[in-house]
Amino acid sequence: MSNILNYLTTFWQMFRKDIQVEWRGRQGVPVMLVFTLLIVFLFNFALQLSPELQSGLAAGLLWVSLAFASTLGLNRSIGLERENSGLDGLLLAPVDRSAIFFAKSLSNFCFTMLVALILLPIFSIFYQQNMIRLPLIGVTLLGLSSYTSLGTLLAALSIQARTRDVLLPVLLYPLALPILIASVEASRAVLDSQPMDHFSSWIYLLLSCTLLFNAAGLLFFETILEE
Amino acid sequence: MDKKPALLVFLDILSVILVPAALVLIVFFTPVEAVMGPVQKVFYFHVSAAWAGMLGFILAAIAGGGYLITRRFPWDWLSLSAIEVGVVFGLIAILSGMVWARPIWNTWWVWDPRLTTTAIMQLIYLAYFILRSGLNTPEAQARLGAVYAIVGVVTVPLTFFSIRLFRTIHPVVIASGSGPAFRMTPRMQLAFFTSLFVFTILLIDLVWNRFRLARLQAKIQQEVSQNAR
Repeated sequence: MSNILNYLTTFWQMFRKDIQVEWRGRQGVPVMLVFTLLIVFLFNFALQLSPELQSGLAAGLLWVSLAFASTLGLNRSIGLERENSGLDGLLLAPVDRSAIFFAKSLSNFCFTMLVALILLPIFSIFYQQNMIRLPLIGVTLLGLSSYTSLGTLLAALSIQARTRDVLLPVLLYPLALPILIASVEASRAVLDSQPMDHFSSWIYLLLSCTLLFNAAGLLFFETILEE
Repeated sequence: MDKKPALLVFLDILSVILVPAALVLIVFFTPVEAVMGPVQKVFYFHVSAAWAGMLGFILAAIAGGGYLITRRFPWDWLSLSAIEVGVVFGLIAILSGMVWARPIWNTWWVWDPRLTTTAIMQLIYLAYFILRSGLNTPEAQARLGAVYAIVGVVTVPLTFFSIRLFRTIHPVVIASGSGPAFRMTPRMQLAFFTSLFVFTILLIDLVWNRFRLARLQAKIQQEVSQNAR
């Protein structure tokens, strides 16, 4: 019983620390937010979007911009530990390292989800349709949770290489492809007001991705961080 | 350098004989497909290469697991070798498929599940080399490479399944359940299964040779670092 309690305490302290750092520094979420908006504008010109096309592409653009932006946050979240040897401190602590993984993964998820929640009304204005819908928020929740847990795992991996910041996207995007496809398709179905059973297989896929990548974190995070 | 094991020499010779033999079988023995014509013959080596590539990646993941459990470097050499050879086979599968697709589908490329999955698989394993080259010690290369090889192979079926939920136009060779399958005559089947066998032998032979090369590299690296001290 005390083991579980210790685990939860570690998890909670790590998570609280990440939130606190972000709250005081405000360096992650604003950067991601500005970055997503820039991507939206870039796409608008690069693809020469007409208003009719725009509404069909809104789901895809939302996920592409979230996927790009969250790599910034993921890199930062682990890079932060690297500065001032914070990571060494964490590794010296006699705690279960998977608790660190889950805390990091959750804090990354919270930051990216916050960006998504701010993005949805902005997208609604830009792409002329109501995107603030509960099912869409649900899909975003699921998609981002599996995306950020895979991302946290791979960020811990790439941080150890010399090429660390550039490495993460190269590792993450091909592995995250099923998550992105499922999220885009489910979001598109929601925006088309299709009934739930038309896109439930995408939801199941997202659920299994979330489970799988969290299990991978539980299994491998310790191995990744050992020196 | 220790002597090449007799079995490996045998596999070398076998590969040298079997690959041309399979080609002869495909060119002269199999009938020309009624609708597609001679270009259909690409299929034998195409499927075999895809099979060998996939096998290589699965082998790499298993070897990665072996490294993580035992922490012995031979497992890592095996994992690296299997991925390197697997990537080459995957490339052969994609290129030969494009040669076939140009006359049959009238395009070099479609965003079909199998094609996209294979291409993404190539990207996953190219990233594997980028990851390894960025790491400083053989130990870190082995440890992180193993984790990535395992996570990588797990996502491949997910990717395939997710793209499959869109429609596919890729022919199904070995029928699973319903749906039209490409039917082979007995001669075609003979050539097909021979090609599969030949490519499996070729895969084992190449991975084994590459494994010995990796061991040699590790040995040289060790001696260099010892002399430096």
